[in-house]
Amino acid sequence: MCAPDHSKNINRVGLFSYLIVEKKISLNINGINVSARPGLTILEAARENGIDIPTLCHIPDLLPIGACRLCVVEVAGSRTLVGSCHTPIAEGMVIQTHSPKVIATRRVLVELMLASHPDACLICDKANICELRRIAADLEVGLPRFRARKHYFPVEDENDRMVRDMSKCVQCRRCVMACKSQSGQPLFSMAYRGFDSKVIYGNDQPLDRDACRDCDACIEICPSGALRKPRKPGEERADKALFIKG
Amino acid sequence: MPQQRVVLKNCEVIDPERIESYLAKDGFKALAKARQEMTPEQITNEIKASGLRGRGGAGFPCGIKWEGARTAPGDIKYVICNADEGEVGTFKDRYILEKDPFTLVEGILIAGHAIGAKQGYIYLRAEYHHLLQHLQSTIDQVTQRGFLNGFKLEIREGAGAYICGEESALMDSIEGKRGEARYRPPFPTTSGLWGKPTIINNVETLMNIPPIILNGAAWFSQMGTERSKGTKVFSVSGDVEKPGVYEMALGSPLRELVEDLAGAKNIKMVQIGGATGRVLPAEKLDTPLAFEAVLGAGAVTVYNRSRDVIDIVHRTMEFLAEESCGKCTPCRQGTEVMAEVLAKFAKNEGSLKELQNLADLSSAMMLASMCGLGQAAPNAVMDSLQYFRGEYEKRVAS
Amino acid sequence: MTSKRVKKPSQERAELVERLKEAQRHHGCVSEEVIAALAESLAIPVHEVYGVASFYSFLTTRPLGRNVILVCKSLPCHLKGAEMIMEAVAKELGIGPGETTADGRFSFELTNCIGLCDHAPAMLINQDPHLDLTPEKIKQILKSYK
Repeated sequence: MCAPDHSKNINRVGLFSYLIVEKKISLNINGINVSARPGLTILEAARENGIDIPTLCHIPDLLPIGACRLCVVEVAGSRTLVGSCHTPIAEGMVIQTHSPKVIATRRVLVELMLASHPDACLICDKANICELRRIAADLEVGLPRFRARKHYFPVEDENDRMVRDMSKCVQCRRCVMACKSQSGQPLFSMAYRGFDSKVIYGNDQPLDRDACRDCDACIEICPSGALRKPRKPGEERADKALFIKG
Repeated sequence: MPQQRVVLKNCEVIDPERIESYLAKDGFKALAKARQEMTPEQITNEIKASGLRGRGGAGFPCGIKWEGARTAPGDIKYVICNADEGEVGTFKDRYILEKDPFTLVEGILIAGHAIGAKQGYIYLRAEYHHLLQHLQSTIDQVTQRGFLNGFKLEIREGAGAYICGEESALMDSIEGKRGEARYRPPFPTTSGLWGKPTIINNVETLMNIPPIILNGAAWFSQMGTERSKGTKVFSVSGDVEKPGVYEMALGSPLRELVEDLAGAKNIKMVQIGGATGRVLPAEKLDTPLAFEAVLGAGAVTVYNRSRDVIDIVHRTMEFLAEESCGKCTPCRQGTEVMAEVLAKFAKNEGSLKELQNLADLSSAMMLASMCGLGQAAPNAVMDSLQYFRGEYEKRVAS
Repeated sequence: MTSKRVKKPSQERAELVERLKEAQRHHGCVSEEVIAALAESLAIPVHEVYGVASFYSFLTTRPLGRNVILVCKSLPCHLKGAEMIMEAVAKELGIGPGETTADGRFSFELTNCIGLCDHAPAMLINQDPHLDLTPEKIKQILKSYK
């Protein structure tokens, strides 16, 4: 039995390994009794049972980040909603993943992300594969009720592997986490605080020519238009899908 | 009801610079009793029986926290004293550190013995840098007298961040990181500082430990209410004649504190618990000060009838927006949106639609934020909307 | 076992905040050079050091004057006339909040609650508390900082 070390990226099963016991855990999700392996998070147990919970910061097999809060669910007996990506299942847990309270909360969260997001989907290179946009459509979020000042940062396009537009960042931290897990010399950290928080490179400078090597891990998991591959007009797009619901 | 001094019994009585003065007032007798006559289990049981709850705002039962860390597997454990009181209008820990640092150190040493920790930290907010030498001298004197008995006690200083008063952010800060909230579980009692079992207790909580050990749980639990035992130290500021630190039995009415002791007149409202605290109008002054009613960390800011509710709530939200760590969406975005909406009301440019939006936003922040800051951030907005809705409506653009 | 104390990486890392503050005391701010040197000596990336330095409000990457004035702007001080104190400081120094005097003697900043509410309005200069302020007191107090 050993407590988890937060300083390292470890496999998520390892995070709650101190809770692992032999027996399977029975729980109730959305009124249905299910059983799942000990050590799983609520999110994993739900997904194993075919229930999809939206999330913008979760990366399978990496340490949970817990920043976006979209994966919150109702757990009986809990005063607040609970982040399903980082909460381990426990015997007898009664969970609601799509109750009215949960849906209303998720809508507000998406609206909050959109509150400071540039209104630039029409010309965004990732509009057709944007996870933020897909989740907003799924939750039937239209024009957000909330507005906040926008973050305007110049587009960083010096690097020939990656274009960064931090105006579109939703601060999920996936790129920070993915880069850390892939490379010996991670590129990004969080800087500043509160609403001014930002994913930075170096001393908060634009991504330069030599910055990134070759893995593309951060680009693939970026849920918004903040990170993308440079693309010239006429080149094939990543996906044809376009989200129009909502 | 007069003041009842348990936590503050030595303040203004002993010479806080000299350990001899503290020893003359039964100093370190509780530590001797704990080490010589009690097992760690007996100590945690005594604290549990006393009903002592954390004085930093959340009110978690202290004995249960200690038992969690005591029984957690592992050889290395830590005790952290949270001296990062950053809640707007709170200064009681500063007063305690100034006037009676010895009882605090004794409390920390008893906690160390109870959970099996050999190392402790006092996390002092950077704003209290002026207390650093004084506190270090206290630790040096305690060390010279041999009371540490192998325990290592160090002061770690913050660098200006309200959020570091939140226990998980505090630990990250001690580890030399950005002070961001962590999700729980795992809880600090099993996986805290550097992943080791850790207890984090507020200054005032630890001040209660020596008297409980000396006088017993039964003595302590006579004071207070059914669910809030003991006394509470309040920091009273704002529109009062005598701002300062007052200690009363828990359950005492707010009115006695602000009117009888601090001399407030013409009260319009009182903010209890600082920026994340509750707002009560003058009609509610008979509310008891207790965990089951209003309390927080005991910051009590009084506003008289000349004050503008919208301005107060706006400033409160600006503070929270500046101090949010920024990790989770509801707190990072929500405090900013609220601050911007309230700025509009302050300029008489509000709208009724935005009032409804504020309520929906508040609810999401309370339900989905990762730590207590985001969860409690909408309190002042919600309470003022309940009691002073008219003031908002007056500020709607015509 | 040798008597020499070998520090674990995590313990060294824990000194980052303290070393940043120390650097700021010596150099007036956490400059890019300071960040690079700390990153090198603690073997952590530059962006991580910058991330920590930019998180805490008492650390700054902007050069500050020899004496740093922090006037409290939070509610308890506001109620007792903090604005008048800010005006008095601004008038005396000829600079506004966030600025440094041309001679580098003073930087003037506003800060959130410093826990001196029972002596409001209050301020810190170089982390020394000044209590129960009035606009009249400001001139005399500032005189004592060279």
